[in-house]
Amino acid sequence: MRWLGLGVAAAAAFVLAVVVGPAHVPLANLMTSDIVRSLRLPRAILAFLVGGALALSGASLQALVRNPLADPFLLGLSGGAGLGAVLAIALRIGGPWALPLAAFAGALVAMGLVYRLGLVGGSALDPRVLILAGVAVGAFASAVTTAIVSLSEATQLRNAFLWLWGGLSGASWDTVLVACVYFPLPVLVLLAAARPLDVLALGEEPARHLGADVEPLKRRVYLAASLLTAAAVAVSGVIGFVGLVVPHAMRALWGHQHRPLLPAAFLGGGTLLALSDTVARTFVAPRELPVGIVTALVGVPVFALLLRRWTAS
Amino acid sequence: MRRWAHRTHLAGLFLAAAALACQPTDRATPPPPPPPPTSPGGVAVTDDAGRRVTLSAPARRIVSLSPAVTELLFALGAGDWVVGRTTWCDYPPAARAVPSVGDGLNPNLEAVAARRPDLVILYRSALNETAAQQLARLGIAAAVVRQDRLEDLARAAGLVATLTGRGAAGASLARGIDSLLHAPAPPAPAAARRRVAFVVWDNPPMVIGGGSYLDELATLAGTENMFHDIPAASATVSLETIAARDPDVIAVLADSGAPAVPAWAARREWQVVRAVRERRFAVLGGSLFARPSPRAPQAVAALRRALAATR
Amino acid sequence: MDRELILDARDVAYRYPGAVRDALAGVSLALRAGAFHAVLGPNGSGKTTLVRVALGLLSPRAGTAAILGRAAAAWSRRDLARIVGVVAQREENPFPQRVRETVLLGRFAHLSLWAGERPEDHEAVSRALERCDVVPLADRWLWTLSGGEYQRVRLARALAQEPRLLVLDEPTASLDIRHEMELFELVRALADRHGLAVVLITHHVNLAARFADQVLLLAEGRAVARGSPAAVLTAETVRRVFGWPVAIAPFEGAPQMIPLRSGKDGV
Repeated sequence: MRWLGLGVAAAAAFVLAVVVGPAHVPLANLMTSDIVRSLRLPRAILAFLVGGALALSGASLQALVRNPLADPFLLGLSGGAGLGAVLAIALRIGGPWALPLAAFAGALVAMGLVYRLGLVGGSALDPRVLILAGVAVGAFASAVTTAIVSLSEATQLRNAFLWLWGGLSGASWDTVLVACVYFPLPVLVLLAAARPLDVLALGEEPARHLGADVEPLKRRVYLAASLLTAAAVAVSGVIGFVGLVVPHAMRALWGHQHRPLLPAAFLGGGTLLALSDTVARTFVAPRELPVGIVTALVGVPVFALLLRRWTAS
Repeated sequence: MRRWAHRTHLAGLFLAAAALACQPTDRATPPPPPPPPTSPGGVAVTDDAGRRVTLSAPARRIVSLSPAVTELLFALGAGDWVVGRTTWCDYPPAARAVPSVGDGLNPNLEAVAARRPDLVILYRSALNETAAQQLARLGIAAAVVRQDRLEDLARAAGLVATLTGRGAAGASLARGIDSLLHAPAPPAPAAARRRVAFVVWDNPPMVIGGGSYLDELATLAGTENMFHDIPAASATVSLETIAARDPDVIAVLADSGAPAVPAWAARREWQVVRAVRERRFAVLGGSLFARPSPRAPQAVAALRRALAATR
Repeated sequence: MDRELILDARDVAYRYPGAVRDALAGVSLALRAGAFHAVLGPNGSGKTTLVRVALGLLSPRAGTAAILGRAAAAWSRRDLARIVGVVAQREENPFPQRVRETVLLGRFAHLSLWAGERPEDHEAVSRALERCDVVPLADRWLWTLSGGEYQRVRLARALAQEPRLLVLDEPTASLDIRHEMELFELVRALADRHGLAVVLITHHVNLAARFADQVLLLAEGRAVARGSPAAVLTAETVRRVFGWPVAIAPFEGAPQMIPLRSGKDGV
């Protein structure tokens, strides 16, 4: 029943994203409209992919660091992406893909740094060290970013921050193609880690005794979740809330077993982002809201409802 | 940055409400006439923040924290009395010889005070109103002027002229701007170039709305800004809105030496917009279009030329 | 016929990184199927370290550790988990879970990557629940269980692995008499009836003496004595190792330790 409900919600969100928009497209012309085919359709697909990636990454990281407050941007990736993007603009690196690639590169550098810090002193990706390293790297990157912005010419860089606030405006069939080529591997790696993550929740030593290869598991999960998040940021900026709350909402319905939880989180995140993007596009038409604000405004009531249901049962 | 993204879901409500509630300030009230000077030879005005600015004598050491005001001062013949400018004040060329006191966005009060001015002029913003109060406490007269649109400039011309004793030049400049604003509509350009959208950023797409100087220029040039209906000076819109409104030309602001076609025009999602597909871009360069200035007539002419030049 | 040798650690030495002295030096431990060994010793004597080395979690500085004839380090974690079930001292459980779910985690090493649980996995879980006498608790949430019940559930999880060797590290710390006795009796029955080899680390010298076949007494990383409880647990040895005078009195053929008053309070 739950899966049916989630499937229906996902389908409805998708249809809504394609049919509804600030530009009026009559239903009769839906299939032939250029706006629908070239803008809304890829944008809806991208919203599902990015939202799903963020929620899946968030759920995995929460299991990895054994902390329910973890989210995909905990480990410094958003700071790194922001710095990469700002550097690209400040250095006037041209080309239509300059910004996403620079953001992706920045996120990867941050990921590498945090990983390296997580190995310091033989701590072997100890969750507490990871979290601290992520916060430190993120703060450092943010500070450098702010310094660059305050010392350089204002307007271009100010607009870069708008991009970082998150949005699916860059969605096209090209972006969707890149996402479809890039996403499946990290997604599969995370889905395959579902049962090992259940075992890891007991602690690292009990997990080893139960047969889990803990060190390779942590590395795999960390890398896959970070790569997914880096790609999501490169494509759509920093969209908060989805990675943190969707996993919890799904746990209220499916419990803590990761085998159903991870796919549910993926679908749930995609649904939330697609819905939020539709609202972002239409609520103050012709203007558009940053989608990160909408994910919070839409997500909080849904989460509150689920929380009531969960605590009542 | 992650912190911002998180605080959105707490402050998001407030932010969204604030964004929606932001309306342009009312332009309809006419400026009050300057009150009589308080002492013989002294000058006094009420600035655009409603504060009374009094000088015992017309200003002779002026720090201008606004490029538009710098241009204005030179146009009024008060250029020799400008002792401080911002790094953005690049016109006229003579202005570049004046020492800079910083970028002016968050005024460096020490640098300003070091120039020993008897008058500081700032453009109107919340940050600057605070700075003006601080300057007043330091005993330095500070005036805040609005400079979003041409009528602001006309009023600013009168205000600045009074403060510098260049009343005649100010009146003549103000008349010139008024006549530009109220001139009969010029003949419309060729039909193919009437409908313009000013796109200042691509991701997210940002356009110039009805509240801005560029929109005024567009009207004066006889063209139609496709986003005139948005009251704000600039706004984020969906790409599909731009596509649906189908402008004939896309105008972009760029520094000199920028390519004729912006980099983002190659991106696939922008091909839905007809003007991008057909590469109908008008590049507006330099500071001419950035702020209301006495060069407004030149700006209008340049805009018409740029639009006419599109294929 | 000699029963199969399951665990064979010989003369192992180990020093933790940055430590001043060895945590273990020249200790051996060997177990056959159906044998119940207790490892005793004061705090910090190397009991847990011995188990970690014997199971290949730590690499010894000297000596060898083998499981079923193969070097412990050569076993993959997954394969080893089908042979050895461990109930560690500490476990976290940040997420709420039901008893049946947590016991099912014991089947991890038997499950393939993508496939779901098979009937034989559920049967193994049911058997484990039965043997540990926690069937009535199967659908309860873990947080509602008492300490003793929770320990039996953890034991059930280890049994669900269908191991040949069971390792318990201080399983009765903080349990009351009844739950302690129940656990020791359960473990003894597992060794007797199902041929499991058992290594049990405990502070409970008296219970170890009554239930274990063999006792290994460690002090400061060295093996002080090894053998049957009666042979190892003499008043002299215990006083020397634990630093407290005791009297030894037999009960049902096993030596029971009775700590003496120090006499410092003037009595």
